[in-house]
Amino acid sequence: MSDFLVLDDLKTHFDLGNKAFSRQSKGVVKAVDGISLTVQEGEILGLVGESGCGKSTLGRTILQLIKPTSGRVILEGRELNALPEKELRKARIDFQMIFQDPYASLNPRMTVMDTLGEAVRTRHPELKGEALRARIAELMRTVGMNPAQMRRYPHEFSGGQRQRVAIARALAPEPKLIIADEPVSALDVSIQSQILNLLKDLTRKMGLTMIFISHDLSVVRYIADRIAVMYLGKIIELGSAEDIVDDPLHIYTRALMSAIPRPDPRLERSRSRIVLEGDPPSPMNPPSGCNFWPRSPVQHDDYMKSHEPVFEEIVPGHYAANCPFCLQKQS
Amino acid sequence: MSDHSETAVLADEPVPPPTEASEIAAEELEEGSSLWRDAWQRLRRNKLALASLFIFLAICLFCVAGPWFSPYNADAQDLFLGAVGPSWAHPFGTDTLGRDLMVRVMEGGRISLLVGLVATMVALLIGVMYGAVAGYLGGKVDSAMMRFVDLLYALPFTIFVILLMVAFGRSLWLIFVAIGAIEWLTTARIVRSGVLGLKKQEFVEAANSLGFSHMRIIVRHLIPNVLGPVIVVATLTVPAVMLLEAFLSFLGLGVQPPDASWGVLINEGQQNMEIFPWMLIFPAFFFALTLFCLNFLGDGLRDALDPKSAKD
Repeated sequence: MSDFLVLDDLKTHFDLGNKAFSRQSKGVVKAVDGISLTVQEGEILGLVGESGCGKSTLGRTILQLIKPTSGRVILEGRELNALPEKELRKARIDFQMIFQDPYASLNPRMTVMDTLGEAVRTRHPELKGEALRARIAELMRTVGMNPAQMRRYPHEFSGGQRQRVAIARALAPEPKLIIADEPVSALDVSIQSQILNLLKDLTRKMGLTMIFISHDLSVVRYIADRIAVMYLGKIIELGSAEDIVDDPLHIYTRALMSAIPRPDPRLERSRSRIVLEGDPPSPMNPPSGCNFWPRSPVQHDDYMKSHEPVFEEIVPGHYAANCPFCLQKQS
Repeated sequence: MSDHSETAVLADEPVPPPTEASEIAAEELEEGSSLWRDAWQRLRRNKLALASLFIFLAICLFCVAGPWFSPYNADAQDLFLGAVGPSWAHPFGTDTLGRDLMVRVMEGGRISLLVGLVATMVALLIGVMYGAVAGYLGGKVDSAMMRFVDLLYALPFTIFVILLMVAFGRSLWLIFVAIGAIEWLTTARIVRSGVLGLKKQEFVEAANSLGFSHMRIIVRHLIPNVLGPVIVVATLTVPAVMLLEAFLSFLGLGVQPPDASWGVLINEGQQNMEIFPWMLIFPAFFFALTLFCLNFLGDGLRDALDPKSAKD
């Protein structure tokens, strides 16, 4: 199988502009700092990390909603970042996004029918009237909504239902790739599982490829085939969901995993926690060497501060930033 | 979280069994309640605003349809009659040239209302497009466009109009242009600030990711969402424009006799108010009533369109 989506040394830096009355730059935020990744067709890739680590920026950069500073995004052999504006616009129907906040992601002045109709017609501009309505009804049923409600406005729906509308809108142009940016974190816990199941089912049934962004490892491990862990604009560990959850290599991933509460009280009591100290460093001025050293709970020396680890395959199919201090072989 | 069964309920509400797509007729669909309709429901509960709306519509009807039913012509002079007080023949009396004042108030109202509405429309069209484009593009373009607005704001209006009159001669259309050219500035600022806030919302990003053009995003997704405050400004702009027109006419820069506007009539009445008070009272009453109605209506609309701002 050929590679469906390839990210090649992708960088997105934000220049904060110059200081007042001077040519001196206020600094550059390296939100995405050299990410290379391959996503196979039909897989769900989970992308986890703390807030501010650049997950959302990476998602938006892949979709070209934010232009990358350098590097390439190649979807089915097409280099998206090099497409001229007009062609990019036409190509956009192949990759869609599901947003975090269902209260902000739907136009409050448009009915569900208008919102979905507009999205359907990006792929099928010839659809009108009855045929268009039939397609909208079909989409609404796909996401578990009652088509009789298509004349309603977003404010007449609950958060979960709005997110279903948003999912239907993302599906409407019949995309191949969907990026879901924390699609359940704004929802009630009881609704979260419904939406997660819906996303999982739809991806499987329609043969979609999905990048699922979340800060919540327990959500990601439920839905994803592979998981990539991001820290300060870089991917520090990548592997199958089981490997990442059961046998994490990097100390950061282990700390994240140890933070998940266990439902079983006996296991919960025996859970050993790796506590990270401090906040993530500013992406404006990332630490040198292995950028994890200021927070590392293990003993380290100047070697860690001066040597940038190489991201490589440690165990077959399981990649990590190869820093001798961060990686510890599990017993 | 990890042990969800696949049988988890997918729907928030039970979904009816799939029917043939074509069976869904338009009549079966539940009618949604748009934000506009909700606003109308709130406005209907505001007695003062609703009464103002009806009085304003009544005044419009009176001015537009009235002259057709009057036996008098607004220009027809009756110098032998001269100025007489209100009577059955002339309910509002006549002016110094013996013209029926009721017809003249109606005709004047036509022009005043026309100036108010047309100039406001012009101002809205320019202001909404200009503000939306500035806010949407942002950055340096936005700065440049808004500095131009600041520049026009700083221009003294009276001098601007006098210059226009001198350059192009006096005409009603010039008043529309002159007033419209000033009044769009406020609209542009309001729309721009609204668009600046909205364009960061995810539904605009979603429209972007569907590959829509900038123009389509502005017209279909941004402008409908800033129309609320714009409508309020519009209802408050109409009386402001009418006042400006009255002011210009009062100075002799606006509508020229024998045409009349409420401003012209008030000016004539004011010259004779000690001898023939009805010449001032009737046009001034209608003018003031219209301004009151529009202001109350504007207040009511603001509360209706943005319930959070309501005082009570």
